[in-house]
Amino acid sequence: MDPRAQIASPVAVQPGWTRKTGLAKWNGLVRILVLRNLSIRYKGSALGFFWSLLTPALTIAMYAIFASILKFNRGQPAYLQYLVTGIIVWNFTAGTLNDSLFSIAGNANLVKKVSFPRAILPLSTALANCVNFLLTALPLALYLALTGTLHLRHVAWLAPAVALHVALCSGIALLAGTLNVFFRDVQHAVGVGQLAWFFLSPVFYGLDLQLGAVPVPDVWKGIVFVNPMTGILAMYRYALMGLPMVPPEWEAAVPGAWIAISALVSVAVLLLGMAVLRAGDRKFGDVL
Amino acid sequence: MKGKTGSTCGADDSGGREWAIDVSHVVKRFRLARAGSVKTAIIDAVRRRPATTFTALDDVSLRVCRGETVGIVGENGAGKSTLLSIIAGTLHPTSGTVRTRGTVSSLLELGAGFHPDLTGRENVMLYGAIMGIPRATMRRRFDEIVEFAGLERFIDQPVRFYSSGMYVRLGFSVAVQVDPDILLVDEVLAVGDADFQRKCLEKMDEFRHAGKSMLLISHDIATIRRVSDRIAYLSHGRIEGLGDPAEISKTYLDDSIRANAAARRREWGTLDAQFTSAEFLDPAGGGPVSGIVLETSESRIRVRLRWNAVKRLDGPVVGFSLEEAESGRIVHGSNTQQAGLAMQPLDGAGGIELTLEIGSVQAGDYLLSFSLHNSDHSVNWHRLERCLLLRYRARKPWDGVCAMPATWSAPR
Repeated sequence: MDPRAQIASPVAVQPGWTRKTGLAKWNGLVRILVLRNLSIRYKGSALGFFWSLLTPALTIAMYAIFASILKFNRGQPAYLQYLVTGIIVWNFTAGTLNDSLFSIAGNANLVKKVSFPRAILPLSTALANCVNFLLTALPLALYLALTGTLHLRHVAWLAPAVALHVALCSGIALLAGTLNVFFRDVQHAVGVGQLAWFFLSPVFYGLDLQLGAVPVPDVWKGIVFVNPMTGILAMYRYALMGLPMVPPEWEAAVPGAWIAISALVSVAVLLLGMAVLRAGDRKFGDVL
Repeated sequence: MKGKTGSTCGADDSGGREWAIDVSHVVKRFRLARAGSVKTAIIDAVRRRPATTFTALDDVSLRVCRGETVGIVGENGAGKSTLLSIIAGTLHPTSGTVRTRGTVSSLLELGAGFHPDLTGRENVMLYGAIMGIPRATMRRRFDEIVEFAGLERFIDQPVRFYSSGMYVRLGFSVAVQVDPDILLVDEVLAVGDADFQRKCLEKMDEFRHAGKSMLLISHDIATIRRVSDRIAYLSHGRIEGLGDPAEISKTYLDDSIRANAAARRREWGTLDAQFTSAEFLDPAGGGPVSGIVLETSESRIRVRLRWNAVKRLDGPVVGFSLEEAESGRIVHGSNTQQAGLAMQPLDGAGGIELTLEIGSVQAGDYLLSFSLHNSDHSVNWHRLERCLLLRYRARKPWDGVCAMPATWSAPR
């Protein structure tokens, strides 16, 4: 081969993250796609971006009203704060899942005609939801502070919480975006699956929820943390509200083992998403 | 030279120029039974049903030199757009390799990849970003792009409000203004008004003189001949010819006329008697010409017809007609009855030879039809319409389809 040959059509072969040097080149595209994703969300609305702040504030108000009327609380202290934190964290995951389904299939016009790393499409939906999440976190923090439940002793844990959450959401976006191109069943399955996942995650209940008098066996505790959202929610509540990550009676023989399981699963989902996109990358043009 | 063959260009006259695009033994198959759902995918896998495939490109190899413009011609469905998509990187070959040197900008269909809800401005920036061009660079070139497209007034409107002409103008100007090393153009010369077409052609010339490479598809043979250094003729996914624009475009046009003639062939009748063959005989004297086409400048052609009758048929008549291939207008038609030839009853195999003086028609393409019917034309045993193509090459100095004896004399 001629050493001068730059065998690099800007696209042809690499699915994105593989070429470290080339990645910086795509900053502009990621930025535009994220902004597009965010601006389309509030397109035509008078308040525009303020909805990102207003929605969580109104959500908090709604839960405050209905949770007290319907007596959601089963004697847990600061239940409303616990619930609202969970909802806002969960919305990042759910929003990414829903938006990413059509990140590739809905951009057929781009995918079929221009060549660029396809991973950018689902990843930018995850990133847009992340930006939105960080914005919604502001009214949440304000609410926690006003109600005296903001305890920042372990605030450093926010970093791993966000990092793992972003990793998980990126993985989900890559999986959902890619699989939905090949199997349109995915979009239907996601609707139901997402609801199940919501109930399986400790969003509106705590792990110390009394399901009966029988103590939970260790294997089951581990399985509960295979759901990465269990660990991620625990980390956020630990960092923001100072709540114990794992209730005392749930503590594993090795301290931190349950959280480690959630963390590993999050990273595994990311790796799986990358592998699936890479496998599907060459066939997008044929199928779309 | 041996060691350098990997990097030099394949053009005959290139003298070892470097290649910009190297397509090597590319095969592209599409699955026809697409796996639309998990269910069908599982059923297919369980039954081990091989997916039906369509071969769009079959072992295509092509090298485009740096600074060269190569045109691709071929009928619809020959694989032209598939080839361009593979070079652009939006499709991947089933086997074989494609390599490109430098940045590739593609103009596949109108306004490649524009998003209808975004404004012209946003789409331009998006396109630049997709091409991996820094924002600062795009900002600098922005005015030039808009000016070239002539869309200053509309650039902040969503492109879904654009007319198709505006769409493609913006598409073309972005694609060329991102200053790629390789430009892929698919059928854009067909759109836009005359003024914009002229601007495009000028831009393409400019592009060529800047030493950039271009690969373009067009059905406009005249333009593609003018712009291209070489032409590749693609047919059924294979490269049928590659080289001199005049020569290859002639081959393509000939083939398409032939294919067109073959597509217009019809036959019908009771088949009590049936033509078993209809073939040209060599005008210079000699045996049958293979194929359905005769290309000649001789003023006399001969056709041999053979038939087979399944029963005895009395009073047979054999007829023929000659029509202009382009217009379908019959130039001349006649039969054995009109010629005063009394034929024996048909029974079993038989045949006849037709000699036709064609010197009085203008050069052109003509289709021949034959018929076998009874004496009062009430029963058609077999009609074989437009089964032979005559390409008459003797260009005459007069106007019109047919010669008429005309004499001039000085007024008395």
